[in-house]
Amino acid sequence: MRASRTLNNPLFFLLPALLLIIVFYIIPLVITTWVSFTPLRNWRITLLSKYIGLENYRDLFYFITHDPDGILVLKTTVVFVVFTLIVNVLGGLLLAIATYIIEEKVSLTFRLLWLLPRMTPLAVFGLIWYYFFYGSPQGTLNAFLLHLGLIDKPYFWGTDPRLLPWSAWAIIVFVNGLVGVSYGMIIFYSAFKSIPPELITAAKVDGASTWQIIRHILVPMTRWHLVFVTVWQLLSLVTSYTHLFVLVDWRIVDKWHGTTWALFVFNEAFGDVKNQGLAAAAAVVLVIIGVLLGLVTLRIMRFSQTTPEPKGDL
Amino acid sequence: MMARTELEEPLATGMEAVLIVSLLLLASIPLILAYTTLILTSFADTIVSNPWVHFHFTIDNWIAFFRGELSTTRARIYTTSQILWMIGNTIIVAAGVALVVLAGSITSAYAYSRMKYRWRMGALKLLLLLHAFPGVALIVGVYTLYYYTLVKYVSLQHRLLYSFVFVIFARASLELPMSIWILKGFFDRVPWELEWAVIVDGGSRWTALRHAMLPLVKPGIAAVAIFAFLAGWEDLIYVMVFLPPQAKTLATFIEGQLAGGSLESSYLPILAAAGTLYLLPTILFFVFTQRLLMETMSGGVKG
Repeated sequence: MRASRTLNNPLFFLLPALLLIIVFYIIPLVITTWVSFTPLRNWRITLLSKYIGLENYRDLFYFITHDPDGILVLKTTVVFVVFTLIVNVLGGLLLAIATYIIEEKVSLTFRLLWLLPRMTPLAVFGLIWYYFFYGSPQGTLNAFLLHLGLIDKPYFWGTDPRLLPWSAWAIIVFVNGLVGVSYGMIIFYSAFKSIPPELITAAKVDGASTWQIIRHILVPMTRWHLVFVTVWQLLSLVTSYTHLFVLVDWRIVDKWHGTTWALFVFNEAFGDVKNQGLAAAAAVVLVIIGVLLGLVTLRIMRFSQTTPEPKGDL
Repeated sequence: MMARTELEEPLATGMEAVLIVSLLLLASIPLILAYTTLILTSFADTIVSNPWVHFHFTIDNWIAFFRGELSTTRARIYTTSQILWMIGNTIIVAAGVALVVLAGSITSAYAYSRMKYRWRMGALKLLLLLHAFPGVALIVGVYTLYYYTLVKYVSLQHRLLYSFVFVIFARASLELPMSIWILKGFFDRVPWELEWAVIVDGGSRWTALRHAMLPLVKPGIAAVAIFAFLAGWEDLIYVMVFLPPQAKTLATFIEGQLAGGSLESSYLPILAAAGTLYLLPTILFFVFTQRLLMETMSGGVKG
C-alpha cells in the first residue's frame, strides 16, 4: 500500500517556510527596490505609484560626498566595521584559546558569561551601558575614574564635543564588540575541541610547553575558521544596526558619530525625517554588498562539498 | 557539532592556569560590572555603579514598577493592569514567534535532511544567504507591505490584531533560516532505519516524521523553540515599528523612557527593576540549559 503522494512530496514539507520566505523576504526585497525609485516620504502611500528614476540614488551620492553628515556616516561605518571586526576576530580567538586551555568548569563559566551579551534583550543591553557611561559622577566609568583620580569631573563620554569623534567610536566598537566576540569564541572553541586529544597529549609528552602547543597546534588549525569568521563577521557588521540604534537613540553616543550606513537606512525610513525613497536607495546598496559577501562566504565554506547528502533516499 | 572527546587534564596548570584565569577575569570586568550594576540597582535606593557607593537594600523599585509609579515624582502614570499587559504583550509576541518558527522549521528541516530533489543544494545555499540578508533592507519593504495592506484592507477594529499577527510572522521569518539550519543538524544525527521501517509498513513521510523522527529530536526542537522565544522576547525594533504606541512591550517601554536621553537619576533604580525583570528569562535559560545552549550555539550561531 502506497501512502498518498502529497504527503511524500518535498514541496509539501517545504511549503510553510517557503510561504514565509516569499512574503517576508522576496516580496519585501522587490518592494524596497521599487521604493528606491519613488519619492515616498512620511509613508504617503499614494507616492508609491510615482516613478522618479535614479533621483534617490543621485541624492544619496550627493549626501555621502558633499553633506558633512553623510561624509561622517561613511567614516563612522568604516571605523566601526574595521575596528569591531578586529575585536571580534582576535578577541574571539583569544577567548577561545584561554577557555580551551583551562579547567572545564571555570571555562564553562567564562564562556557563558561572554555569551550573555548575545542573548541579552537589546533594551536591557542598552540600559546597562546607559548606566556605565552615564554622564554624572554616578555613572560607572565616571565613578571609577574619579575615584582613581584620573579625571576631576565627570564626562558625558559619547557626546562631549571635546572627546569626539574617537570617544563615540570607541563606545560603539566596545558595545558591539562585546556582542560580536562570542561568535568567534564559539567557532574557534569548537574547532579546538575537534582536535584529537592524543595529538595534544603526545606533544606534551615530547615536552612542548603550553605556549608552543598554542603556537604550533591550535593557531595553525584555525586558519580556515579565521577566514570564515572574518568574512561572516564583516557581513554582519556592515548590516547590523540594532545596538547602534539604541546607543544613538538614548544619546549614549552622538547621533552622527554613532550612525553607520545601516542605521542611516533605518533612521531615514523610521526616524524623524522619514524619507523612505532615500532610505530604500541606501538599502539597495547594502543588499548588493550583503549578497556579494554572502556568496564569498559560500565559496569559503566549500558549501557543496561539506554539506552531507540527505539520508533516506528511497 | 561539538566533539565529545576531552583532554584528561587541562593544558594550563599551576601558575599558568592562575595567570590565564586572572587575565580572563580582568577582561571580563566591564561585563561583570555592567550586569551587577543593573541587578543590584534594582534592589537599591540609588545606582550601585561602583564599590564605594552607599546604598540601602529595598524592594521599593519593584513595587513602584508594578504599581506603575513610573515618574520621578512617583506619580502613578500606569495602572497595574497596564504593566501586566506590557508583560503579557511581550509574552504573546515571544510565544507567537516560537510557534511560527517551529511550524516553519520542523517540516523544512525534515525535507532538507531526508529528501533528495534536484534543487536541494540551491535551496540550502539560499537559506544561508537569507540568514545573512541585511535585515534593515527587509524592514523597509516589510513595513511598506504592512502599512499598505493595513490602510487598504484592514478595518479599524481589526488593526490591533493585524499588527500583532504581522509583527509575529515578520519577526519569526527573520529567525527561520537559522532555525531550519540548526534543526537540520539535529535531524542529520538521527539514524534513518526507524523511518525506513515506518515507510516499508506503508506509512508516508509525514507519518515517519511524526512517529519516528520527532520523538528522537526533542532536544533540538526545545533548543529551536527556546531560541525563537527569546528572539521574540528580546525584540525591540520590530515591536517598536509595527505595534501601535498603546500596545507596549517591556522593550518599547524601556526604550520610551530613555529615548532622547535625559533622565533624572533618581528614576534609574525603578528602570533597573524593569530591566532586571526583562532579563529574567535569559538568565533562567542560562542557568538551566547550559549544555544545550552551548551545543546549539556551536551548531549555528547568528553573526
